[in-house]
Amino acid sequence: MMMEIKSILVPTNGGGADEEVIKLACSLARRSKAKVYAVYIIEVERSLSLDTQVDSDTKKAEKILTQAEDAAADADYEIETDLLQARDAGPAIVNEAVERGVDLIIMATTYEKAHGVPELGKAVYYVLKEAPCRVLVYRDSIS
Amino acid sequence: MKTNWRPKLGDKFIRRPRAKAHPLRRAIGSFGLFSAGYGNVGSSIYYALGLVALIALGATPIVLLIAGIFFIFTALSYAEGTAMMPEAGGSASFARRGFNDLFGSITGWALAFSYIVTIAISSYTAPAYLGYFWQPLTEPVTGTLAAMGIIFFLMCLNIIGVKQSSILNTFFALLDVITQIIIILLAILFIFAPHPEIFSHNVIGNWPSASGLILGIAIATLAYTGVETVSQLSEEARHPAITAPRALILLIAVVMILFSGISVAAFSTMTPTEMALEWARDPIAGIAYGLSIAIVPEEIATGLSSSPAGIIVITAFFGGILKLLPILVAVLATSILIIATNAGLMGISRLTFSLGRFQLIPLLFSRVHHKFETPYRAIILFSSVAILLLIPGFFKPETFVILGGLYVFGSLLAFSLAHASILRLRIRHPELSRPFKLRLNIKIKGYELPVTAILGLVFSSAIWLTIVTTQPYARWVGLGWMALGLITYLVFRHRKKLPLIRVAPEAKLPVD
Repeated sequence: MMMEIKSILVPTNGGGADEEVIKLACSLARRSKAKVYAVYIIEVERSLSLDTQVDSDTKKAEKILTQAEDAAADADYEIETDLLQARDAGPAIVNEAVERGVDLIIMATTYEKAHGVPELGKAVYYVLKEAPCRVLVYRDSIS
Repeated sequence: MKTNWRPKLGDKFIRRPRAKAHPLRRAIGSFGLFSAGYGNVGSSIYYALGLVALIALGATPIVLLIAGIFFIFTALSYAEGTAMMPEAGGSASFARRGFNDLFGSITGWALAFSYIVTIAISSYTAPAYLGYFWQPLTEPVTGTLAAMGIIFFLMCLNIIGVKQSSILNTFFALLDVITQIIIILLAILFIFAPHPEIFSHNVIGNWPSASGLILGIAIATLAYTGVETVSQLSEEARHPAITAPRALILLIAVVMILFSGISVAAFSTMTPTEMALEWARDPIAGIAYGLSIAIVPEEIATGLSSSPAGIIVITAFFGGILKLLPILVAVLATSILIIATNAGLMGISRLTFSLGRFQLIPLLFSRVHHKFETPYRAIILFSSVAILLLIPGFFKPETFVILGGLYVFGSLLAFSLAHASILRLRIRHPELSRPFKLRLNIKIKGYELPVTAILGLVFSSAIWLTIVTTQPYARWVGLGWMALGLITYLVFRHRKKLPLIRVAPEAKLPVD
């Protein structure tokens, strides 16, 4: 049985797989005319106030979200983008998913080894552990 | 998706506004902005001229000129503010940043009021122009019912979320400018130039009393309202810091030239009393009718050509134009006024989104329909208020004047606060980037303050006070609306435990 998707959340991180993940989300969403939300989270150091706006971070976030919009436009689909600030990306992603009531989170990740152990990243682990909805983790080809 | 997940105590998140985060696409250029602005400002002449003539009589062209100078100041302040803050809130956004949320809310309610009256007055005037084809539409009961029908129809369209085409706006704006230029040229070339004494007699011989003149200036500002549209649409404009000021300056030039020309055409073709008594609701139709009576094509033809063939061709040409003109004016005015009614409804939608986002109005107003994605509650509520405002139209012939007073009340309050906010921003945030910075500044305590904004503030406040003191209906309905808005804001902020005056964080708009 195909699961019914009404909305998909795509956390972006500026990695090489962002574009593919957005296009994947758009193609999944198209069947049921679901909403696609792309989000970028600026992680603010604890030494700074949470509402501090660091120019370089903002520029980077704007660029990544614009690229996400462009990728969606390539796929001929309209998405909504959001820029959040949080201490850690994981809880912000889960909170966004809960607030928006999304059915699926699609996250891009890289496969890296830290001390010989495969490392997916803190945010991915948190989302896999805490998100109440379905989560799809997408790893780009190693080449 | 039901869940018990809650953020932990230390987990806090901030939603940052981003230039491209909203679903509105940045697709409109300078001319698109101008067309939308002209659709709103330009439509005003279709009812303002008659209304001003009712009060200012022969001084109508003069009061329109004085109000026009004030319009330049207002448009310039909006140009600086919009280039700084291309947001759908318009002057409510200026006030929020310049002062605080309380001022932002007051400006927002004033703007909402002016949009509601735009809806009422534009829809009320449209049937009068359609009366050319079906006379009963000029009667109070039929005309008011038709106006209510127009609002109801557009309300349904806006709930469903039919997009207004920018191309359609541009087409009507161009057609309107061309038609008005034809009217002006015909009147100036064939009536004003050979008989300037008709115009001067109509002006000097029907000079109003001093109080009529002052109230006339106040009501004449009505002709120039709608400048807010450019500011609101700037959120969807390409390079708004450049395109918005350009559109506003083009708007100033076109509107000033056309309005001056139309007022000359008006009093070259009819007396102020004729306009006030017979053509108050459809003055441009009156001018077109006056032209078709006053201009004799055969006379023009014999003056221009001596050959019989030339006379026949020229007679047929001018005869055709003069026959077509009243029909063109009736169709065009109705279209422009319906577009202006719709622009009012769209303005309300955009304003509600913006005010809700900044928590300046209760979120229930901004609640978005799950399917249509429109703020349907706000659209229904504000359309209903506009329909209620039309009820006196069944019984009172002076409803038109009442609506004019209400419109000026809302617009001038918003304009005053816009000027004040631009001045306050110069003091509070001199460091902010101003892609379009007003020149002609005076230095007070080291702060650069634009003279046009100071004059605009003084003028708009004085006009607003004139309306409040001389128009009891506008005073009580307008002040009642503002009081309702203030109480709503205070109760909402208190219940949500948000600061009453200071700036609150952005909210996510709820979906039904």
